[in-house]
Amino acid sequence: MSNLNIDSIKNQTYDAIVIGSGISGGWAAKELTGKGLRTLVLERGREVKHVTNYPTTTKMPWEFEHRNQLKKEVVDANPVVSKCYAFYEGTEQFFVKDAEHPYVQEKPFDWIRGYQTGGKSLMWARQTQRWSDFDFEGPARDGFAVDWPIRYADIAPWYSYVEKFAGISGNKDGLASLPDGEFLTPHEMNCVEKYFSQQTAKNYKDRHIIMGRAAHLTNPKQIHYDQGRASCQNRTICERGCPYGGYFSSNSSTLPWAAKTGKMTLRPHSVVHSIIFDEKKNKATGVRVIDSNTKQMTEYYARIIFVNAAAINTNLVLLNSTSHRFPNGLGNDNDLLGKYVAFHNYRATINAEYEGFLDSTTDGRRPNSAYIPRFRNLVKQETDFLRGYASGFNAGRYQHEDRNGMGEDLKNNLLNPTYNNVWSVGSHMMGETIPKASNFVTLDKTLVDPWGIPQLRVNVDYDDNDVKMTKDFFEQLSEMYTKAGFKNIRTNDSNRTPGLDIHEMGGARMGKDPKTSMLNKWNALHNCKNVFVTDGASMTSTSTQNPSLTYMAMTARSADYAVKEMRKGNL
Amino acid sequence: MQRRSAVKNIALTIGAAIVLPSWANAWNKDSFLKNHFSIASPPENLLAEIVETIIPKTNTLGAKELGIQQFIPKMIADCYDKKAQGIYAKGFELVDTNAKNLFSKSFLECDAKQRLEVLNKMSKSENSDEKSFIQLVKGLTIKGYLSSEYVMTNLRIYEYAPARYHGCVPVKK
Repeated sequence: MSNLNIDSIKNQTYDAIVIGSGISGGWAAKELTGKGLRTLVLERGREVKHVTNYPTTTKMPWEFEHRNQLKKEVVDANPVVSKCYAFYEGTEQFFVKDAEHPYVQEKPFDWIRGYQTGGKSLMWARQTQRWSDFDFEGPARDGFAVDWPIRYADIAPWYSYVEKFAGISGNKDGLASLPDGEFLTPHEMNCVEKYFSQQTAKNYKDRHIIMGRAAHLTNPKQIHYDQGRASCQNRTICERGCPYGGYFSSNSSTLPWAAKTGKMTLRPHSVVHSIIFDEKKNKATGVRVIDSNTKQMTEYYARIIFVNAAAINTNLVLLNSTSHRFPNGLGNDNDLLGKYVAFHNYRATINAEYEGFLDSTTDGRRPNSAYIPRFRNLVKQETDFLRGYASGFNAGRYQHEDRNGMGEDLKNNLLNPTYNNVWSVGSHMMGETIPKASNFVTLDKTLVDPWGIPQLRVNVDYDDNDVKMTKDFFEQLSEMYTKAGFKNIRTNDSNRTPGLDIHEMGGARMGKDPKTSMLNKWNALHNCKNVFVTDGASMTSTSTQNPSLTYMAMTARSADYAVKEMRKGNL
Repeated sequence: MQRRSAVKNIALTIGAAIVLPSWANAWNKDSFLKNHFSIASPPENLLAEIVETIIPKTNTLGAKELGIQQFIPKMIADCYDKKAQGIYAKGFELVDTNAKNLFSKSFLECDAKQRLEVLNKMSKSENSDEKSFIQLVKGLTIKGYLSSEYVMTNLRIYEYAPARYHGCVPVKK
């Protein structure tokens, strides 16, 4: 790293550095460049340009060599990522293969990663539910983790701000548990979903079935056309990348917007080794980057640094940022860094059948499903476990064909599918898990990854609270299904490994007190105030809602604060 | 439904000129067996006649003309485990053994009706190798057929971009 002359230091100096180009890094890039900052965006993976680098997006089913089935050698070589529902022949190129970035599973943890510009925003499930004060007040009310340093009122305007730009479809349902947003036209619930909604409203005063809110352009506004995006075409193959920009991703939205300012430098193949801390200035001055092709290390400098590497990798970068002042990782005076990791419990599903509406079906496809906001322990504690769960709900009138026999009869049956004489219905649980010191990540003392960076050791597991909650989900949903007249109810506990929910959070939690948290209410490190963490690592608790929208809003809010502080000369 | 029938009729007239996708054109038996998978090579056309027996040509194309006999070895070689590959490799000889037992001639020498009888018998066989072979080949034949361009553009239309979702429409009779 020596040999730096004044010119090269100048060439390697920006106003801001953003580590990561996924859903939160993209927002940091957009906000910081939009406010005039020369911003370096570091992406550890390759560049994936919107449309151009979506190789399978316009392929028809018959154009896939194995009709979208994975090759056996791929499954065998990738026991972790092969478990992911979105990993198939058409999406292989967007997922990190197991051998590409090794980590140590002290307890089984399926770490699903996307290393490319846009990160996992390319393949995400696009559910965008706001969090409420039932979530932000949870730790304080129920006595776990630490109190969030913010409330819904702090972030509500920023939800509105990001929703308008990203494009979120949804219905204004007027529920305190799931605040309404700036919505585009909602998707439609089908006959049986509407029926279940009505039945549930009749049977329970505090339970609701609503249409999910999703990041799809159902009726684009000028701001979306200005991004070069168009209406969602209901293809429901989103995870291959969308040529219409019909759903929100960094690639289709925030990154091109940031590029248009002329202020962004996007550097792919840039694995961040660590953040440089200057003891005299008492702040971070830049980052050390390893080029993944040449393995060469380069330093880049900036006045502020946004860490958006995705929850677990953000922990890795901070833990590896050691200095004389911070021997245990950047800002880590309290030894909390890497601890209180939590996730969402997706183990449980319940399926059933309904014998009504048999003269009706659906038409077209819907990249979304209905949603059951959390009702358990919502306003007060009512069970022997803490917190609760939200749930998806989906009804479909499926067709089948008789596959018995061979010859002309079989052929005729295959070409004339008939509707099942029931509707199929199903729900999956999205349970809040309790952040604990015993769920943590650390750095291995000897093993390193291909870039010479210590491997991460993951120690995350379910606990008794999750088991009780899963049981309650089965009981409550079974009761709701039974009261609605659904038959043949089947419950399934997949016992799936944590991580597969792809909602890992925490490790660098926000809080009011530097003794018990890593980040302040603006997502800045208490002990290094020009470093901001606005991805999943910053989450104090997990709520039951999908977290991405909250990362986006947090990032925009934090970037606004950071630039104001810079301009005041405070950073 | 008018449009659908029209499309269907066009398909029937041009059916013979159906173009296989590029990945299918690159196939030939030699490249499979050399590059992917070493199994006893089924006699010329045997797999083609088996898949054609499972899904025959009627007033629409059958499995043979759709090249399902090229799709199946590809899938077996790339996506299946050793056990399934073993069942597949052994099966062809069993087809001929059954044909000889039933009709005193090879499967290829049988007529269409006799071939169907051979496969039906094997599908109900107490010999698990025979039953598993038919299950495997029949399953892949159906998969290949239903996901073929011909079927998905002419017979069971795949909509690439429906641009709509209606939650409650009458079932078409």
